[in-house]
Amino acid sequence: MKILCYSSFTFSYLNRARVLFKTLRKHHPDWELAALITDRPPEGLVFDPSRESFDRLVWASDLGIPDFASWLFKHDVVEVCTAVKGPFMHQACGWGFDAVIYMDPDTAALGSLAPLEAWLEDHDILLTPHLVDANDDHAAILDNDLSASRTGIFNLGFVAIRTTGEGARFAKWWNDRLLSYCYDDMPNGLFVDQRWCDHVPALFDRLKIIRDPGYNVASWNLSTRKITVEKDGRITVNGHLLRFWHFTKLGAVGDAMTRRYAGRNFPVYEIWSWYKREVTAATDPAIPERWWAFGAYEDGTLITKTERVLYRERSDLQAAFADPFRSGPDSFQAWLVQEGVS
Amino acid sequence: MKRLISSALGRFRRPQPRLDPDSDAGIAALAFDQAYYLATYPDVAEVGADALTHFMTHGWREGRDPSADFSVIGYLAAFPEVAASGTNPFVHYLTHGRPKGVAPESPLGFRFDIIEQQQTLEARLAHITLGQVTVGTAEEFASALVSARDGLAGLHVTFSHDDYSTSLGGMQFAIRREAAGVAGQGRDHLHVYSARPWPVVREADETEALGVVWNGRVLGTFSLEAIIRGLSQAAGPVATGRSFAIHSLLGHAPDEVADILAAVGLDRGVFWLHDFASLCAGYHLLRNGVEDCGAPPPDSPACAVCLFGTWRARHTSGHARLFARLALTVAAPSQSTLDLWQRSTDLPAEATVVLPLAHLKSRGPGNVSPAGRPFRFAYAGLPVPHKGWPAFMSLASRFGEDPRYEFIHLGAMRDRAMPYRFVEVHGGSDNPMAMQQALEAADVDAVLIWPLCRETFSFVAYETVAAGCAIVTGPDSGNVVAFVTEGGHGQVLADETALTTAFQTGAILQLGRAQRRPMLYDLVYSALTLDLAMTPNP
Repeated sequence: MKILCYSSFTFSYLNRARVLFKTLRKHHPDWELAALITDRPPEGLVFDPSRESFDRLVWASDLGIPDFASWLFKHDVVEVCTAVKGPFMHQACGWGFDAVIYMDPDTAALGSLAPLEAWLEDHDILLTPHLVDANDDHAAILDNDLSASRTGIFNLGFVAIRTTGEGARFAKWWNDRLLSYCYDDMPNGLFVDQRWCDHVPALFDRLKIIRDPGYNVASWNLSTRKITVEKDGRITVNGHLLRFWHFTKLGAVGDAMTRRYAGRNFPVYEIWSWYKREVTAATDPAIPERWWAFGAYEDGTLITKTERVLYRERSDLQAAFADPFRSGPDSFQAWLVQEGVS
Repeated sequence: MKRLISSALGRFRRPQPRLDPDSDAGIAALAFDQAYYLATYPDVAEVGADALTHFMTHGWREGRDPSADFSVIGYLAAFPEVAASGTNPFVHYLTHGRPKGVAPESPLGFRFDIIEQQQTLEARLAHITLGQVTVGTAEEFASALVSARDGLAGLHVTFSHDDYSTSLGGMQFAIRREAAGVAGQGRDHLHVYSARPWPVVREADETEALGVVWNGRVLGTFSLEAIIRGLSQAAGPVATGRSFAIHSLLGHAPDEVADILAAVGLDRGVFWLHDFASLCAGYHLLRNGVEDCGAPPPDSPACAVCLFGTWRARHTSGHARLFARLALTVAAPSQSTLDLWQRSTDLPAEATVVLPLAHLKSRGPGNVSPAGRPFRFAYAGLPVPHKGWPAFMSLASRFGEDPRYEFIHLGAMRDRAMPYRFVEVHGGSDNPMAMQQALEAADVDAVLIWPLCRETFSFVAYETVAAGCAIVTGPDSGNVVAFVTEGGHGQVLADETALTTAFQTGAILQLGRAQRRPMLYDLVYSALTLDLAMTPNP
């Protein structure tokens, strides 16, 4: 099976993506790996895609999204890196691959993902739920079960499709939804791409929900997953082989949630410790922390979330300011000052 | 209260000024570590909150710690009555003192602490390369060999990672026994070690000065070339009475070892399995410092996430080079060590042999202990995690006040966090019987030998049994578990939960001296390589 696996990120996450691609390359040297970047390299960074561990680089600006600057401005960094996943997957269905897999840049393969290929022989769409076992403890229900109810049953750090049939139909639908409705707006039933996928079991056939606990292990499901390292070198999750881990929220928040639910299950800390070492080794000091080229106006002033929401809710502003990133006279930025908004 | 506060203060950082000293905040301020708090919880700094105020109002309820030395979650978990009272646990600790007993283990377990604090081999190597070494001249080395007997006719050469004559440890003790045997035979002994403590085998392009011990005397450090030239000049015609043993290749480059031996016409000798450096740079086979790994395949997921994983090839290829240059008989101090080694490598041993570093010789039954005293449970040796100290502390924490038990630590170094009986014991080559005698004198019933990594040979296990004590060990302890199982010397428990259960139910009490009526033994030490019937070098 000819497989394309891609990840969507900015240069701030290049280190994590490098770890993902390195681990994918190790387990699946035959997969084509693609980076989808919604960013511009910071000054001082020597970015040579031919020396990276992916095979193909796609800039989000080359996806042919109409009125790209205006469209991009409506999103914060998380929203836009999620939104571009849809057009990429839809377009990749026409590139000659049998299957396309998306993985978040902060995931890493810790075992072979070969069963995915086998499942894709019989299914067109694969999704991993946040939880495959319910919690009983009150705090765990609040943190995990109810969180998944708010943000989406499936974790869209992973999705795999066949490029034909229901897989292609899903990709087109996902493309359409994400181009228009990929916002973190939970009161209105939106959490980027995830709440949309709650509809997938109803809208599409040939879906497989992966209930194997070895896939997409993360802090939100550690309360029901026991990690063991066997003497033969296998790492297992509730007795199943560990396949991939989702290292969400690298830092103090991720540590806190991991510790809360891993408790004394020390292999979890071994795996996190490994990941931190790998990310550190893959970090280029030329990339400033939290770098995002589209996080600021032309003059360097940071764009606030309020300003993005205002712009996306006002079609008159979109019509008046085709490139809202611009600074200077007659710009959206100048209008904000003039109106006393900022 | 003042006494308690002042005794607790020593453990914490400097006080905060200008608060009512009798208020909760005032008491907490005395030991609150503002810098730690702000660094650990950057969100507090970001919103500009006062660190102490934040801790007193929200922080402790959110499980945040006031200093690196105090765990809010650990304290509340250990003392539920404090949690139920709604009292700030840090203020409770400072005003009431910790409830009686040993400090509770972190709720995440001691292995979490080890993982968090573990240093990478890269970092250790960077530290090594900073050290400076003074190297003696070739002439100085050659002049020392003037005392050589009969053109080094009976020379015995040994290699290890350090100077056995001044360092302490099981391997060093064993080499001292071997050196004594060589001296007893009227032969010369040259010991070579790397001048700096490399944690790994060296590559060919990583040069290092070599330390030399000549007939028990430290000569200093010399270049490889100086040693080879000096030996070549001093050596008479190739003699059949020469021999060598490699006790550790750590810090050595395999070709250097073979070249030194070639200078005196040696290429056939003994390779000792004191550890598993021939299988992995993690020579204790302790994955990430926390669990026995069993030497899985190098491309396994376990090796992929291990600190030593990327270094493993250096050790396997280094030893492959050594075994290609030399014809080596592999000597293991225990059958379990040889079994694992043979399962895990295809290094071409000329032959294999098992030779325990000591054996027991009966000296009759022990005295019967007085009835009615508590079960005496001991830990013998340094209070370090990889030897099982946290497991002992965990038991002491849980059962230290239980009238059925008495906890005793015997060793050269005390852990101040252990409030129970400590018996200072200094062993080593000058007094090899010290631990055995101390265990016997304390009338200890059983000793916890709970290493995280498998032992190739545990002297402590033999000393324990020689003193009439039973051994309590786990399944990953290597030759300890084999020794206990084969000799009926105690109990093997599946894990730390089973260990706790044995104390809870009292099942462990069956290991009392009164129940077992143990024999006492002397330890008879091996002279290692000299005890092997070696084929003389051609």
